[in-house]
Amino acid sequence: MAATPSAPPPVLPVEQAVEYAAETGHVPANAAAAAAEHDAGGLPQFEFQHWAGQAVYLLILFAILYVLVAKVFAPRLRRVIDERAETVSSAVATARSVQTEAAAQAEAAKADLEKARADARATAAAAKARVTAEIQARQAEEEAAVAARVGEAEKAIAATRDGAMVHAAAIASDTTRAIVERLTGKAPTAAEADAAVKGAA
Amino acid sequence: MADPIHQFQITPLPGLDFGEVTLPVIGTVHLAFTNSHLAMTLAFVLVIAFLQVSTSRAQVVPGRLQAAGETMFGMIDNLAQSIIGHDGRKYFPFVFTLFMLVLMMNLLGMFLTFTATSQLAVTATFGVLTFALVVIIGIAKNGLGFFGLFWPTSAPLLLRPVVGLIEFFSFLLRPVTLALRLFGNMLGGHVALKIFAGFIVSLMGVALAGGVGLFALPVAALSLGMVIALTALEFLVAFLQAFVFAVLACIYLNDVVNLGHGH
Repeated sequence: MAATPSAPPPVLPVEQAVEYAAETGHVPANAAAAAAEHDAGGLPQFEFQHWAGQAVYLLILFAILYVLVAKVFAPRLRRVIDERAETVSSAVATARSVQTEAAAQAEAAKADLEKARADARATAAAAKARVTAEIQARQAEEEAAVAARVGEAEKAIAATRDGAMVHAAAIASDTTRAIVERLTGKAPTAAEADAAVKGAA
Repeated sequence: MADPIHQFQITPLPGLDFGEVTLPVIGTVHLAFTNSHLAMTLAFVLVIAFLQVSTSRAQVVPGRLQAAGETMFGMIDNLAQSIIGHDGRKYFPFVFTLFMLVLMMNLLGMFLTFTATSQLAVTATFGVLTFALVVIIGIAKNGLGFFGLFWPTSAPLLLRPVVGLIEFFSFLLRPVTLALRLFGNMLGGHVALKIFAGFIVSLMGVALAGGVGLFALPVAALSLGMVIALTALEFLVAFLQAFVFAVLACIYLNDVVNLGHGH
């Protein structure tokens, strides 16, 4: 609508104005006003002379972007996303294997510990048995020694008693001879006294 | 008050207007590099820049931008694979391109004075493109079996032609609904934003006159609150509509990719 004619355009009825515009290439003032009025009435979106240009241009942009996305951007992102998934899954697999390994090691350590404990228990039991046997042997030895000494002592006691018993007979016979001598004035022989003592006993 | 519709006006950039031509079927075509073209180009360049920066030095342990790029990528990838199934990877680039372009155009509209996706021409192009792809893939993969899409075997035989006809028309309406949903959301959001923002300006003008006009101040404050709330909502809508577009594209593709099994 940018018409700047040298002479001010005449004011004409609308239908004549359109004719005038077609003839001269100049837009009369009231035609421009009519166009503006028309614009105010409807949405500018329905000016169809602008449709083809926008549609074709948009299709071109769309096609370019489609090719770029399909050939460049999507493969790039897909690659890095796949790579990440791979990294994560391999890391998880590694972690899992390390974990099983650690579990196995822990199991082995536990078994070792059990074994060591059993060994220690066995050693302790053996030591205890040995010590007990030693103590018992020593006790038996000592008991034997003591018993021997007791036996010896008993023997000595018996000998002393026997000796004492021999002396007692002699003393009794002597005493008997003395008593008889006093009573009768006549001393029996030693053999007679002995016999009497023995008979009395 | 500023005209809330003015922001949708298409204007050729200075020096890039190549005049009008009249083509046989299409009619009058205005050849120009307009503000709409500029917004589309900016969105396109930003998408490429974002993807380039987030993937150029892609590492196993991602940086911030790479994580953002991967989030987008993973979201659409999961979407395509969960809806289309194993074949989803083949259609991922299309859905991802669609999603990124729509999302970036929507988001740019929050920062610029022009929103490409508030142009019906743009959303219709997206819608028709998706629809055309669905039809082409459907016929390429299933041949004439493609029309089995409109023959609901689960319906009683008597009702099948009727249901099939309804299916057929709803299928034909898909590009229209795709285009109108996005267009309507962006249009409505930006008009509402503009209207409430315009209220603030005109009410402040009233308030500056003093006297009774001071009663306009609380209303202006309320409008400001609305603008802030709407801005937050529009960011959500910008993302959501791009996502919805991607989801629907996946669903439509699934219809023809897995036609005859699983349905």
